[in-house]
Amino acid sequence: MNKLNVLLIEQDPNISLLENELKEIGFIYLKTQYDSTFLRLVTDIAPNIIIFNLDICSNTLFSDLKTLNQQSALPIIIFTRDGHVGTIELAIKADVCALIVGDFEQKRLASIINVAMARFKHQQVLKTALEEACAKLEDRKLIDRAKAILIKTQNFSEDEAYHTLRKLAMDRNISLGEMAKNVLAMSELFK
Amino acid sequence: MKTFIKVTEIWVPDKQRTHLEFGSGLYGGLIEFKAASEQQQFAYNEGLPGKAWAEGRPLVLKEFEQSYFKRTAAAKAVGLTCGIAIPVFSGDFLLAVVVFLCADDEHHAGAIEVWSNQHSSEQSLTVIDGYYGSLHHFEQISRDISVAKDQGLAGLAWAQGLPVLIDDISKADGFIRANDAKQAGITMGIGIPVSDNLSASYIMTFLSAKATPLAKRIQIWVPDLQGEQLICLEGYSKKPNELAQLFETTTVTKGVGALGRVWLTGMPVITGDHELDYNPELISLSSMLAIPVIEQGRLKAIVSFLF
Repeated sequence: MNKLNVLLIEQDPNISLLENELKEIGFIYLKTQYDSTFLRLVTDIAPNIIIFNLDICSNTLFSDLKTLNQQSALPIIIFTRDGHVGTIELAIKADVCALIVGDFEQKRLASIINVAMARFKHQQVLKTALEEACAKLEDRKLIDRAKAILIKTQNFSEDEAYHTLRKLAMDRNISLGEMAKNVLAMSELFK
Repeated sequence: MKTFIKVTEIWVPDKQRTHLEFGSGLYGGLIEFKAASEQQQFAYNEGLPGKAWAEGRPLVLKEFEQSYFKRTAAAKAVGLTCGIAIPVFSGDFLLAVVVFLCADDEHHAGAIEVWSNQHSSEQSLTVIDGYYGSLHHFEQISRDISVAKDQGLAGLAWAQGLPVLIDDISKADGFIRANDAKQAGITMGIGIPVSDNLSASYIMTFLSAKATPLAKRIQIWVPDLQGEQLICLEGYSKKPNELAQLFETTTVTKGVGALGRVWLTGMPVITGDHELDYNPELISLSSMLAIPVIEQGRLKAIVSFLF
């Protein structure tokens, strides 16, 4: 495995269990505590993975993780003593790759990181596929609405409306969805 | 690429019809100026819209400082330096005032002129007001000439009582300032009859260069021979726009859609996304200003500026 750039967030800076293991594995890491500068710190140091070691996971933490996920998703591992159902649900919603509750064996850290990285990659593939499917569905709706406008205003058949839309899109070298947006915008102007 | 019209507003009479209040506007990114404008009211003969109402003719105000302009500080803060007010009358009664605000810009080429015969007995038009930006030589020439009915852009619009659009104005036979326009970089012009009252006729001309178009597309709509529907007489844009052309093949019924409402009410309208910055590179047209041309209480045409 390539050497990862790890951001290690420890609740107690005097605890060095994870830090020692990261050193042992040979990862580059920055150890710090969680505070309001967390998101800015992530932007500044651009880690490959973030590992938390916290007794309790706050709502603010999950809110920050959600924001991070929307801005620039990263693999997240949380070691915690907080095994409440609510915490687990929030962790899943924030796309946390691994939530390790209770004590853990030091030697397992490398495999936990490996699994988290693999899971993150898989999550990203699924997320991209979902976004593409949603975009296609949205395009489909836009195209149908644009066709309906052309049918109504130009007395076109459905086929004629589709071919007109396609020709306009090809002439402009843009997608059918983009062209449909233009037809809708034009129709809005005359509404 | 920029346009020299930065702000477009419609001011409408309030319930008592004694003051003008904010109707709608296109401000691009000038949010603070928009906020300052929305709360404004103008009495008869007050401010630029009120003055245009009182004088019964289009006005061009080239200097806001020490003038009757009411929003000088807000305009100055966003670089607006010149205003044009076009009153829309039906007979003696004001329906609305359209205001354009411009910013001085060294790089633009364009002019907005008000032509009039000053007195109904006179058979020629001269420039009585105008905004020429940096086109000082062209302004000098324009202010020195007079045009007869049917002559030049303003004369043609006057004779026909209809908007007239000339695409390549520097090559147009009927445009007597063709050479001067070419030198000034002006390529397109539209003449619009406004405020045709008993004492005098007024024609607005908008002249623009390719680099700083008036709008992404300009259309002229007129009632058909039966007066039952509006048809698009002409559509113009710098680049061909098949989508706009497609919509120009449709007919408009009175009261239906934005243009149908202009026909029904005689009121100018602004539609579309009011917040967007003008961006001529965008394919989609994001907003429209439609101005009615009214003669003796009847709609003669609608000019729509698509941004």
